[in-house]
Amino acid sequence: MERDLVEYIAKSLVDDPAGVSVATVETDEATVIELRVSPADIGKVIGKRGRIAKAIRTLLSATATRGSKDVRLSILD
Amino acid sequence: MVQEFEGRTEEEAIETAARELGLARDEFDVEIVEAQRGGFLKKGHIVIKVHTRDHGPAPRQADAPEPRHNVRREPDGEFESKLLDFVGGVVEKMGYACKTSILFREEQKLGIRLDSANASILIGKKGKNLDAIQLLANVYAGKLGREDLRVIIDSENYRIRREEAIVKMAYEVAEKVRRTRASVLLEPMNPFERRIVHTTLNDIMDIETKSEGDGLYKQVRVSFRGRA
Repeated sequence: MERDLVEYIAKSLVDDPAGVSVATVETDEATVIELRVSPADIGKVIGKRGRIAKAIRTLLSATATRGSKDVRLSILD
Repeated sequence: MVQEFEGRTEEEAIETAARELGLARDEFDVEIVEAQRGGFLKKGHIVIKVHTRDHGPAPRQADAPEPRHNVRREPDGEFESKLLDFVGGVVEKMGYACKTSILFREEQKLGIRLDSANASILIGKKGKNLDAIQLLANVYAGKLGREDLRVIIDSENYRIRREEAIVKMAYEVAEKVRRTRASVLLEPMNPFERRIVHTTLNDIMDIETKSEGDGLYKQVRVSFRGRA
């Protein structure tokens, strides 16, 4: 579910939606959502001073399906 | 009952009236009797007539913004459709059912309304979730070629209610600062909310406002400047 949210937002904001891939890694403390985008699109998902990444993280912590575990977002290149 | 009050600005006269009558600003009607705008180094002067009613809520103030009820709620054109779909999509992927519609259309401003049974979650603490959705909506609108447009997302009139609460709080803090001469640092607020504080208190000559801190959520300090 959280994965879908990240994928949806990323694909809507980047120039190259085909370059978006999202993976979920479960650790003991947290669910880590790993977002990869085309190198040219990195700024589109991070934003100035990380504003976009921060907004995505804010919404991740408000999802309906969220369990007791933390949900983290890492943006990889 | 009708009483007259004076001030250098309309805001100041209304503030005096509210204080002396012990009423909230929306509990009385204001009529401007005499107005003389202040200019550079020149103080304005205004006389207002305040109409109070003994029973029931007062009718809307004449200068209150018109309710935006003549707006076509459906999206108009491809841009609005795409934007509403995007916002609705984000909320849906968060796991909540919601309906999106146009709240208002103004020059360089577009209001979008979220109707949802989970509105309180979508608004979030101090509106932080609404702010996050709004930020993404603005980025998306920019991507669609409308960098000039500001998108406002609202749910259950949160933005308007918050604005009214901030204006009220600003006046109360200004009054306290004037009385105690000690400055007050307000809680962190977003740029839009800080602007409300600055513009609300801008007309009060002996009060000064300044933003402090870093990042999106700065704090406003309200301090006493003394009579000009």
